[in-house]
Amino acid sequence: MSHENATPDTQPWNDPKAVPFLQVKNVTKKFGTFTAVSDVSLDVYKGEIFCLLGGSGCGKSTLLRMLSGFEDVTSGQIIIDGQDQAGVAPYARQTNMMFQSYALFPHMTVEKNIAYGLKRDGLPRDEVAVRVSEMISLVQLDKFANRKPHQLSGGQQQRVALARSLVKKPKLLMLDEPLGALDKKLREETQFELMEIQENLGVTFVVVTHDQEEAMTLSSRIGVMTDGQIVQTGTPHEIYEYPANRFVADFIGSVNIFEGRIVEDEVDYVVVQSRETNTDIFVAHGVSGTVGQKVAIAVRPEKMTISKDPLPDMRNVIKGTIAEVAYMGNRSVYQVQLESGKRVRVAHPNRTRRGAHTLTWEDEVYVGWAGQAGVVVSQ
Amino acid sequence: MNRAPDIESKLPAGQFIGRILNRFGFRGRGLVIAIPTLWLLVFFLIPFLVVAKISLSEAAIARPPYLPIWEWSDGFLSFSFNFGNYMFLFEDPLYLSAYMESVKIAGVATIIALLLGYPMAYLIARSAPNTRNLLLMLVILPFWTSFLLRVYAWIGFLKSNGIINNFLMSMGVIDEPFVMLQTDFAVYVGIVYTYLPFMILPLYANLVKLDPSYLEAASDLGARPIVSFFTVTLPLSMSGIIAGCMLVFIPAVGEFVVPALLGGPDTLMIGSILWNEFFSNRDWPIASAVAIVMLFVLVVPIMLLRRAQAAEQEAAS
Ligand SMILES: Nc1ncnc2c1ncn2[C@@H]1O[C@H](COP(=O)(O)OP(=O)(O)O)[C@@H](O)[C@H]1O
Ligand SMILES: [Mg+2]
Repeated sequence: MSHENATPDTQPWNDPKAVPFLQVKNVTKKFGTFTAVSDVSLDVYKGEIFCLLGGSGCGKSTLLRMLSGFEDVTSGQIIIDGQDQAGVAPYARQTNMMFQSYALFPHMTVEKNIAYGLKRDGLPRDEVAVRVSEMISLVQLDKFANRKPHQLSGGQQQRVALARSLVKKPKLLMLDEPLGALDKKLREETQFELMEIQENLGVTFVVVTHDQEEAMTLSSRIGVMTDGQIVQTGTPHEIYEYPANRFVADFIGSVNIFEGRIVEDEVDYVVVQSRETNTDIFVAHGVSGTVGQKVAIAVRPEKMTISKDPLPDMRNVIKGTIAEVAYMGNRSVYQVQLESGKRVRVAHPNRTRRGAHTLTWEDEVYVGWAGQAGVVVSQ
Repeated sequence: MNRAPDIESKLPAGQFIGRILNRFGFRGRGLVIAIPTLWLLVFFLIPFLVVAKISLSEAAIARPPYLPIWEWSDGFLSFSFNFGNYMFLFEDPLYLSAYMESVKIAGVATIIALLLGYPMAYLIARSAPNTRNLLLMLVILPFWTSFLLRVYAWIGFLKSNGIINNFLMSMGVIDEPFVMLQTDFAVYVGIVYTYLPFMILPLYANLVKLDPSYLEAASDLGARPIVSFFTVTLPLSMSGIIAGCMLVFIPAVGEFVVPALLGGPDTLMIGSILWNEFFSNRDWPIASAVAIVMLFVLVVPIMLLRRAQAAEQEAAS
């Protein structure tokens, strides 16, 4: 499903004629009886940053390792640039990988680590030297070229690992939790550097991460994984605004979920009756369901409005008491206790200095949201 | 320091030793260092000094068969050092060539042990944990039998009417027995056989720690398995190689039993010379000088071993 205007240039996945650069077809990986990756299908187009997002142990690394050739597929097919990768050894693949542990060679200097891949291709010495020093400048490690990995900080090691995997100009670069070891601030800076490098070199990236913010920032598209399966693929916007199911809604950002039954089912809206709200919830999009069916409605906290006054122009309004206030600087997050006992999270931007203090604990408030704000998600 | 009383009250023997050590001012950390220090002092440094002392004395027909190097006379302590034993070692070419021969035999045996031991250690480190323990057991198993017995067993294999020759002749491969026993070949077989576990164990300990992701990274960057072996595995196992080589080389230089039992009359190793000087000639001072010089021959490899062990410890931390 697409909610944006398809422009084939920037969104090749919406162009039926575009040929994916990487095709994963019904790939399954079993370790003994344990299924780590289950029937995953995936298309990644040239120049994309595709993020595999999922919790720890959901099979992200395993999928990546199959793309690199370190694990055989139990069933299914992987095609890179039109070539079936079955039986192609890792050293013969046109892909490179940045390892979750970096796996920098401890006995080699930064320079030698980066040169390693080029030497294996048998490039002449002077060309190796030129490309290595270019790459060292790109990742700003000029001062550290002669150090060994253990003499570098985590952030510097991460840059070496990136440089080493990029220097061969692979068609496809796989990055396994590339920024996992960095602290938050450095991570944000590096995310933008990574995007810049990717744009300049025109390499296709497949990035594994468990950090949804990182995925949202970096990627052209995200594949959300759980239990070895991809549950939704889409642009960050699609994933955030139209989560395919409750897991995705919950995993990406914070969300309020209301459970209920459909009482009115029309082409362009549904009304859901929920015990949790005491009032019916209006959702301004149609669903493929029937009256009486159990559904869940997801509403993002920042799409709700909170006020002491009734909210006459909101399609959905519920009453409650403020149970918790969290002041986060740019916004405040309120937990509002409804009469049913359910708590709802509402995020309110702090536009003025005193805005944060007008609402406080125990205040009786109205929480409202527009008909377009909620989405029906499958369980 | 405050824990020590609990331990003492639970362990009567510990209490006793602990009290004695406490009296000498050892507590906690000091104790941990004191015990190995004491051990080395009693079993290494003191015997070394005794041998050094004897090497500087003069041989005599007496009991013990050497003259003391210091004497009290008229209330003065007078020393008489005799460096003649050392001079003698350098004058007689026999000793020099025996040292050279020992270093050569030990060196060649070490290289053979490395070439045999490395693949074995590699295989053990790469096998599944269960198999690994079994294979390690098999490496250590020979130590459960007396070393002397095992060398005698090799005589049974190598002699002219021994197992190997009988087998080859019965197969019709050869008409006359190979002369293997009492040759340098037999000495190499014996030394390599004896010291192979000392090569395998440190190599194994090193290789088993090798992070497989380095090999994956090498492979990812385009290295075939043989190339990643020479560019990654081998350099990263260098401290294990040095440790293993030194653990074979150092005792092999002074090896006495193997050349005595398997070697021929012209196998000249310094260990046999030492034995002869000590027991046949009863020349304790010369024998001691031979031993002290051998120690200096081994100083370089011992330093190498220490550096390899330090590197290993650094890598582990
Ligand atoms: N070599 C292996 N043998 C057995 N199980 C494995 C192996 N590698 C991974 N697994 C299992 O597969 C699941 C997915 O692992 P992984 O892909 O590493 O997850 P993550 O999404 O955290 O990267 C985990 O439950 C893990 O225990
Ligand atoms: Mg992982």
